[in-house]
Amino acid sequence: MSLVGLQSWLLQEGIRDDLDAIIRLTVRTELDNLVPEPAAPSAVAIDWPRLLLAGSILARSDQRIDQEAALRIATAAISLTDDQALKDAGAVLLGKLSNFRAITLANDRRLLTAGLDGRLGVALRLESQRREMDRSILVESSGAWLQVNDFQQRFWTNAGGGSWLSASAPTASGKTFLVLQWLIDQLSAGDTRVAVYLAPTRALVSEIETTLQGLLGKTKRIEVSSLPLRDKYEAARAGGAQVILVFTQERLHLLANVLGDAFSIDLLIVDEAHKIGDSQRGVILQDAVERASRANSKLKVVFISPATQNPEALLTDAPDGVQTVAVDSDAPTVLQNLIVANQTQRKPKLWNLTVRQQGSTVPVGTLQLASTPAGLRKRLAFIAAAAGQRGGTLVYTNGAGESEDVADLVSQLLPQPGSIDPELAQLADLARKGVHPNFRLAPLVERGVAFHFGNMPSLIRLEIERLFRSGKIRFLVCTSTLIEGVNLSCRTIVLRGPRKGIGHPMEAHDFWNLAGRAGRWGNEFQGNIICIDPEDTEAWPTGVPSRARYPIKRESDAVLELGDGMADYLSRRGVSDLSSLKDSDKFEQVGAYLLTTFMRLGSISAASLSKRHDAASLAKLDQALAALAAQIEIDVDLTTRHPGVSAIGLQRLLEAFRSYAGDVENLLPAEVASEDSYDRFVTIMGRINKHLFPAFEPEKVIRLYALIVVQWLKGFSLAEMIRRNIEWHRTTGRTYSLPVLIRNTMELVEQVARFKAPKYLSAYMDVLHMHLRQINREDLIDHGLDIGTQLEFGISSRTLLSLMELGLSRMSAVALYEKIARDDLSKEECVAWVTEREGQLEAMDFPVIIVRELRERLLPLDDVDSNSTA
Amino acid sequence: MPAKPIDLGPLHFAKRGDAVACLNDMLHRYDVGDRVGANDTVILRAALEHHPDAEAKKGCGITHFSVRTADFGTKCFWLNRTDGTTEKFSHRACIYGT
Repeated sequence: MSLVGLQSWLLQEGIRDDLDAIIRLTVRTELDNLVPEPAAPSAVAIDWPRLLLAGSILARSDQRIDQEAALRIATAAISLTDDQALKDAGAVLLGKLSNFRAITLANDRRLLTAGLDGRLGVALRLESQRREMDRSILVESSGAWLQVNDFQQRFWTNAGGGSWLSASAPTASGKTFLVLQWLIDQLSAGDTRVAVYLAPTRALVSEIETTLQGLLGKTKRIEVSSLPLRDKYEAARAGGAQVILVFTQERLHLLANVLGDAFSIDLLIVDEAHKIGDSQRGVILQDAVERASRANSKLKVVFISPATQNPEALLTDAPDGVQTVAVDSDAPTVLQNLIVANQTQRKPKLWNLTVRQQGSTVPVGTLQLASTPAGLRKRLAFIAAAAGQRGGTLVYTNGAGESEDVADLVSQLLPQPGSIDPELAQLADLARKGVHPNFRLAPLVERGVAFHFGNMPSLIRLEIERLFRSGKIRFLVCTSTLIEGVNLSCRTIVLRGPRKGIGHPMEAHDFWNLAGRAGRWGNEFQGNIICIDPEDTEAWPTGVPSRARYPIKRESDAVLELGDGMADYLSRRGVSDLSSLKDSDKFEQVGAYLLTTFMRLGSISAASLSKRHDAASLAKLDQALAALAAQIEIDVDLTTRHPGVSAIGLQRLLEAFRSYAGDVENLLPAEVASEDSYDRFVTIMGRINKHLFPAFEPEKVIRLYALIVVQWLKGFSLAEMIRRNIEWHRTTGRTYSLPVLIRNTMELVEQVARFKAPKYLSAYMDVLHMHLRQINREDLIDHGLDIGTQLEFGISSRTLLSLMELGLSRMSAVALYEKIARDDLSKEECVAWVTEREGQLEAMDFPVIIVRELRERLLPLDDVDSNSTA
Repeated sequence: MPAKPIDLGPLHFAKRGDAVACLNDMLHRYDVGDRVGANDTVILRAALEHHPDAEAKKGCGITHFSVRTADFGTKCFWLNRTDGTTEKFSHRACIYGT
């Protein structure tokens, strides 16, 4: 029998019964509130030596299913038996799997007796030591040796040199941690002056920025920033501190716009790179990578993605002559138990739990709920509260409103805490002061429960994530923001009928991208995915998905593969009545990308994407693009500055400016402090809708959009915007629901003020400036901070910008700015202002979390020390 | 009743209705948020002199006029004073005095 044959036989027959027995026993240790089963078989009945031998045979396989079984056997031997020899054997097996973090965890939990090496025979000890040496890498920046798994080692080995790299591994493989270490190493040891780390969401940007700052500690040689401003970039280029810029794809374009021809980065890391396939923003990411690569032909690019099928697909656009390498892993680092929950017949408080494991099912027991779950939300909440009572429990809901309701239900089932943890109290205080005194989050976090969605202010969201990691928040009810890129793992995730966005059932790869977060490698041995009502076809139209990896496909390629739709859209895009455009959601962004590419190259058959599409459809597209390009006099440099904005739209806007009969000054936005500002934005948004693209629709909501934009630019706090919104509802006699109003205000800020408005208003300004230069009215061009950056950060004063440049979140910057009289302070003057009032910060009635951020970012203690000793 | 003529700066109107029509046209030439141009400002300043609350409206002095949102999604003229205050006014009231 071959080794592969033996491994297959072992799983199917040889150890099947014992394996099922340990699955049942290990999973039972993970779940709370199971009905006791005293008559069930125990660990004593298992033939451990045979099972461990099988484990070591399975560990030699490169198949995920075999490795999972080996990991299960090792974990069971360590945690279920009392025999030191069996536990030691389990640890050796973990070593064979290069899972050193799990061994460390077993030691930390005192599941292993100290001095394992001494108890091993000479041969085993030598083998174990050789393996540890083989599986270590030297972090040059710190001089430390790091023990790594197979994936991490292959990444480290292949990441050197100038080649483009695409790495993919399941969540909880230690990707982010390792890549950040590697990034710092590159800057410490190499010639890299400017590195950019791209992350798909502002949430992830803040998180990576914070992690990097933590890793860098006190070093001043490497700066980290998430602001697309020229200062740190230019300092790094001039030989000062090197810089790591953490950006979304939109911010990378903003930086490139600010720098113009000087834009050149040395190293680009693209995290969550599979999101190049996302609708509408995927092509902006693709454009950002291509733009950076055009600006520096020697740019090194590293793509990272979670459990993807084809990481090499990202490398096809590497410039000719650049080597590429894909590092792919599907190896498990932590056990993931897929558990389905079905109600016991006629007993709504009892739920049968069954583990599904590659084709087999293993009943693990019955879950006892505290209360009868009437309705689907209660079902989700009560099962989560019962099974995940010990904490680290994530509950997935299909929307922000539902997440609040489910969190509320979970909290009601928890015992009233005797006293409130100080950190939870501080977060509750921040929620009350930073959002609204009656924001639902506040009383919930006091009980260790929170909800989490995309449009929340980052300071609050990051603190929720931090306290969930530390265990103080025991239940976190989340929405699809979590699949959109937040690095958060959990012990247990509970789901029922998960959807992505509004109404679309989750595809298998999305489900597993989410479910893959169950299991905190190094903190737990196992993670649990509990799927409720697996047979309900409304909840799970295609059943609970089998494990699947994400297929990477660029948004641009996906849209082109739809057939003639793109060419048809382009041929209609030149019409004057934009409101008649159909399917713009699908085609506008990619169409804009194609048009700019055509303008740059003269034909898209000269573009990299032509490798992936047939000549006939490319010729048809070229024809449609040529017809548009013939009408465009705006140059390609200007259109490149505005990814996702169509050049033909920019041209139409230019024509509208030319035919404008009024005073040209009225085309400019008014100062936000002026009375005209709001109305001017109303008119400008209408103009954008009519000529550029109907971005601010429906038309009747433009006034609300304009109001939000003005308040945001004026530097209003979210709390103030919510307060005014409530006031407006009261004075106009309109009814409102506070939670909905709060969520809507947050959404308007994120989606309009920080996303659509900067995108389209900065394009508007660029075309207007072109027009002003052509009519010799350059005197009207303001060379200050561009409107895109002002809107992205919600600032229009020098002082606020300085505070954010110093690393404060907007929430803290705005809170502090309310106390600062002057609007023109530089960074140094802001620091001086705070330093002078250091002793009074606590008395200024800021939430403690804001004071903490002020102290960390503006009053670094080591500086004070070094000054005083100098 | 005979038509009453009115002068607004350099413009003479034989009937008040014509003056209102002229100001209506002017208003609709502008978008909300626009600052009123120099020539039109002369006419508006003259019109404001006929307003029943002319002195109160002018206050400490007028820097410029704007067109902004009025109630119910319409638009109207607003005056901006040297002290930074702003107030809307009815151009019909300027002509008809009520």
